[in-house]
Amino acid sequence: MDLKYGFVSVDDHVLEHPEVWTSRMTRQRWGDRIPHVERQPDGNDCWMIGGHRLALPEIAVAGEKNRSLHPKRWEEVPKTVYSAPERLAAMDADGVDYSVLYPTVAGLAGETFGKLDDPDLESACVQAYNDWLIEEWANRSSRFVPQCIVPIWPMERTVAEIKRAVAKGHKGVIYPASPMELRDVPHINEPVYDPLWAACADLGVPLCFHAGASPRIQLQPSETFSPPVADAFRGIIRSVSSIAVLANFLFSRVLYRFPKLKVVFAESSLGWGAYEIEYADYQSDADGLQSEGYPLKPSELFQRQCYFSCWYDQNSLRVRRYLGAANILWATNFPLVTSSWPNSRQKIDVGFADIPEGEKRQMLWQNAAGLYGL
Amino acid sequence: MEIKHGLISSDSHGQLCKDAYTSRMSGAKWGDRIPRVIEVREEKFDFPVERWIVNNEIQRGNVCNCPTAMGNRGYYPQRWEEVPLEVYDPVNRLKALDRDRVDAEVLFPNGPGGTFFYGDAEFEIACVKAYNDALAEFHQVSERFIPLAAIPFMSPIETIVAEVERAVKAGHNGINMLGDPSVAVKGQKNLSDPFWYPLWDACQYIGVGIHLHASAGLAGKLALPQWKGYTRRQAHCVSTLRNFCTATQIIPYLIFSGVLDRFPRLNWVFAETGLGWVSSVLEACDNEWERRRLWTEGISTRPSALFRRQMYVDFWFETVGIELREFIGVDNILWESDFPHITSTYPNSWVAVEHSLAGVPSEHREKLLFRNAARLYRLS
Repeated sequence: MDLKYGFVSVDDHVLEHPEVWTSRMTRQRWGDRIPHVERQPDGNDCWMIGGHRLALPEIAVAGEKNRSLHPKRWEEVPKTVYSAPERLAAMDADGVDYSVLYPTVAGLAGETFGKLDDPDLESACVQAYNDWLIEEWANRSSRFVPQCIVPIWPMERTVAEIKRAVAKGHKGVIYPASPMELRDVPHINEPVYDPLWAACADLGVPLCFHAGASPRIQLQPSETFSPPVADAFRGIIRSVSSIAVLANFLFSRVLYRFPKLKVVFAESSLGWGAYEIEYADYQSDADGLQSEGYPLKPSELFQRQCYFSCWYDQNSLRVRRYLGAANILWATNFPLVTSSWPNSRQKIDVGFADIPEGEKRQMLWQNAAGLYGL
Repeated sequence: MEIKHGLISSDSHGQLCKDAYTSRMSGAKWGDRIPRVIEVREEKFDFPVERWIVNNEIQRGNVCNCPTAMGNRGYYPQRWEEVPLEVYDPVNRLKALDRDRVDAEVLFPNGPGGTFFYGDAEFEIACVKAYNDALAEFHQVSERFIPLAAIPFMSPIETIVAEVERAVKAGHNGINMLGDPSVAVKGQKNLSDPFWYPLWDACQYIGVGIHLHASAGLAGKLALPQWKGYTRRQAHCVSTLRNFCTATQIIPYLIFSGVLDRFPRLNWVFAETGLGWVSSVLEACDNEWERRRLWTEGISTRPSALFRRQMYVDFWFETVGIELREFIGVDNILWESDFPHITSTYPNSWVAVEHSLAGVPSEHREKLLFRNAARLYRLS
């Protein structure tokens, strides 16, 4: 690997451009069900996906002074969010060596196509995204770390796509943490999901739960909030909603059963995780779970296999040892409104000022390099 | 009130006696709907167990949630005669406080008692009044008990305010609120709604805080769908662990609703949700506030400053939040024992305190352990 800045950003998003699916899926077979952008009567653009309407995603023009403004029409979308060469320039401007990529239209947590009721359409959309990410991003520069999305169900399709995508160069697997809320599939704790965990463990690619996969566990902004306040609220709520995801996953026994599986809680932020891990140790003692076949403490399990990703945190870095410096990853969260771009380096300099060089290196790039095999 | 031990629990659970409702509610009017304890058969037990029944609906679960008060810690009583007097009788309960070297405790409900949603507002308020009167008697026995009033969520706001005023006169020192009343009661409003302004106004004027306990009624909502593969203990561990998800969302919700700016002297207390997450949520709020210039959207005060002006959080086992206390607010932190629930530090609360506060200077210790609570509850 080639390091110029000493920073691997583990959670950034590409914005899929209007031709991602139209140029890869046959019109003959899929017709209007191909994801595409449509101009609405009010002059704004929206995505049409399998017959469902989706407003242009809240992609902030990160770095703009007023981040409460975001594009309503495709031509207002800045190239840095959907074009690889422009993105490389944005990374250089912010001192980022490598960028691990998550989708946007396909769902921040890869949840969009899991809602489709036609598994063939789901697979076709998923494959087109995964191919596009290799063709237009990974093939353009090794500084992009591509991660695949997958059909959520049935497992044969999920695993087949993981194998196909990883063979093409994908280095991580994005899976929504609560698939049973997308359509009628079994609870994620059920052993029928074992092929998913096994595939990731065997191929040595991390399984990534990005925050926001379950809208149900996020309070809705009040109707009295103005749009910018409502957006701010959603941004904050998204990461803390992973509290419920982590609570379930620490006790679901998946980590015990697949000790080589690595799990990333993307866009988690840090402070609540430190608290939740300390609480999990305390409460599993209080509830007497050792006697029920939980040989490792939740903190031991977490440190063996899990990662948090952070971007704005400064104060919580003081309590990093509860998660483990080896289990913390850093990001810019480009190009979401909350992103530290283009001031990530300054933010890091302030936030990491008192942290020993070795731990700083771990969190800023070494952990990520190991996890993604860079 | 004399501070002898230097420790106030901001979250304990006051159990009412089994005849608390039957002795206070009109039998002629309410008959079998009155909350009481009856004998029932449950498959799991080879003897007749006892359960609370409200509005003819048997309350599943144990007759009393007090596993740390039992000689056999962790055992849940199945019949009322097994419930120790120290749990529901205020005179005897003082002994438990002395044993644990705790000066005073804030009383949240121990089921049934937080809410009474059984179809009609008239029945609800009759239960609420009986509950508030019975719990106020704890305070009448000793000022070491700091009771929190239940409110009749199904009533018009004037009735709610009147009940709070009545309860405070009887000795209550705050109200127990839901995180989102619109989830629990059909047609009720969420916390940002002007519907509640008269209540906020009254509580601010009287000087009592709004309390949200653990999941604050949102346990079923802010959770992944329940997995049937967990044993009871595992399910309890998972659900307890995620309860703080409510506070991490309600705090930003209240801050962005403008309620704190509108009622700048009204206090909000989050119980049994810990501390360690607070500074990261405040940092996130400040981060968004700056990035989106939310002062131009009516949120004129920086979110973390609003928190420090009007919000309180507490701890019982942790060290994470103690390390971060200055980023949370040393004046905004309380301690709790959670007596007599399973997570409680009783009867070794001081061991837990010393574990959490190792190395903390005495000025901060005193604030966290009793001075902040004494100020918040205006204990003389």
